[in-house]
Amino acid sequence: MSGTKPWLDTRLPALESFRAFFAAPVLPRERPYLATLPVLITGALIFQVLSGLVLSLFYNPADAYNSIQFIDRNINYGWLIHAFHETGTTMIFGAVFFSLFRALWLRSYKTPGEVLWFFSVAQFGLLLLVGYLGYVLADGTVSYWSLASTVSGAFGLSGFPGAIGVWFFGGADGAGTLARLVVFHAVLALAVFGILFLEYLARRGAEPKVTHGVGLHPYYTSQYFAAFVVFALIFAVLVFFAPHLGENPLNRGPADPLVLPVAVAPPWFLLPVGNVGHVFPGVWGTIFAVLARLAVLVALPWLDRSAPGKPAGFLHKLLLLVLALDVILLTVWAMQPPSLIGEVVAVLLTAYFFFHFLVLLPFFSALEAR
Amino acid sequence: MRRLLIAALALAVLAAPHARAEDTLNPPRWQSEGVFGSYDIAALQRGFLVYQTVCAACHSASALHYRDLDGIGFSTEQIAALASGVKLASGPATLDDIFKNPYPDTTAAAAAFSGAIPPDLSTIVAARPGGTKYVYRLLTGYAAAPADMTLLPGHYYNTAFPGQQIAMPPPLKDGQVQYADGVTASAAQEASDVAAFLTWASDPNLDASKEIGLRAVLFLVFLSFVAIATKRKIWRESV
Repeated sequence: MSGTKPWLDTRLPALESFRAFFAAPVLPRERPYLATLPVLITGALIFQVLSGLVLSLFYNPADAYNSIQFIDRNINYGWLIHAFHETGTTMIFGAVFFSLFRALWLRSYKTPGEVLWFFSVAQFGLLLLVGYLGYVLADGTVSYWSLASTVSGAFGLSGFPGAIGVWFFGGADGAGTLARLVVFHAVLALAVFGILFLEYLARRGAEPKVTHGVGLHPYYTSQYFAAFVVFALIFAVLVFFAPHLGENPLNRGPADPLVLPVAVAPPWFLLPVGNVGHVFPGVWGTIFAVLARLAVLVALPWLDRSAPGKPAGFLHKLLLLVLALDVILLTVWAMQPPSLIGEVVAVLLTAYFFFHFLVLLPFFSALEAR
Repeated sequence: MRRLLIAALALAVLAAPHARAEDTLNPPRWQSEGVFGSYDIAALQRGFLVYQTVCAACHSASALHYRDLDGIGFSTEQIAALASGVKLASGPATLDDIFKNPYPDTTAAAAAFSGAIPPDLSTIVAARPGGTKYVYRLLTGYAAAPADMTLLPGHYYNTAFPGQQIAMPPPLKDGQVQYADGVTASAAQEASDVAAFLTWASDPNLDASKEIGLRAVLFLVFLSFVAIATKRKIWRESV
């Protein structure tokens, strides 16, 4: 028998099952291009880890801003690697926001997709944390003050949360804190891969059994390749022609412990969730705001009263588009200079976000289900 | 028709530099602006002259080395000659020295300007909303203060500066430098040129980025057509 098998297969049996996995006709037909998003996010994260690895070789937490200037100006193609890392963040968050919206649109969080949905929200939360840490590592005019207020907020907490703050940040914000945050930035980014793997397992669980399917290769490999090239094209356009998209320009100057910047907006990907922080007062208010925003997402499978497997109706889609508009407006608004009207609008937009999930969605989905 | 279009395009490309040479000040324009912008080497060199003669007297640019000036088209000999004219505490500057900081520390700098420290100019264009244009408007924005406004001691009225009071005295005036290329050194021209130079100082890799970017984007556009066509062909054959 072994004579009929290829030479390597008899010596490395795993190869055969790997090949079977690649070509077995188990995948459903007509999966849309957008279903490639999780794979694209994984690929972008791998690329992000590689560019981050190069940056970490030259990054110096004791002189963070100047070491980044050194990378941009004195390392061969350092500016390009730095731009890859910066724009890679935008690409990842763009894809993550889009796939969260897609899950809402398709109601894929309903049975049997709940666990997959929890992992998606967890991944989103973890990426926000990693993104925030990366933003802080830039040690610019704005992120310096953001870190300073975060650390002083964390140190102001009492009991166990305060102990976590001390353990995480080490001490008053400074070179020592940045040195820790480099480590957390990298380790937590690697932890995202763990969640991505769990997501993959959950996705396989949520998929219906296929009777007359197609193989991964060549059908879906060709689709992945096309999706990847278009993704790379968007990435290239942004890297080379809009390298600082959605960033606060003030943050490209050095940190100054004596001068507060006039506009404190973080990069765009933190705004949809982070901007809510201003609405509730105090440190606990900010923590509550961010956690509440993620909590309504986690509770979504139960807030949506519709029957599982039922395609979304017109009303559901309309409400979702309004919600998307609400989040986009909140993001754009937060980039404007602070004003009284801006504060009022931010409160209203935030209130609508919770109103959508806690009132509109349960009510109308129950109405639709009847 | 197509030939006419190509001719018109060629004419537009040929005419463009002339149009730019005519008047870049009204309204102020820079070649580096826009998606396909690149640096105007002549403007950068004029801007460096203004920078070295005027700005460098008070401002540092600690991210820049003298050797970096090859990026604005100076030869190594020119840069070496230029650097040797700069007196550092350790002697004449060399190619690998960073731009001279005119003040030994921030306290000395603050003392000279009623408490305001002249900011480092390495990333000033990147770090200000409006970038190049902001620098230009600031340098040309000095005016007499309105009658109902009392300025802080040692401050000047400036329309572009946030709060309209700036501690920097008006730095530029007509004929402050002599341009080697014969361009008239009006205060506005000097401001425009030094804004161009500081844009380069903030982002010296702009030209390289646009050049690589154009190739990468063209390649990926081509590849996406191929990839999508391949995918469609494979799927057509499956059913």
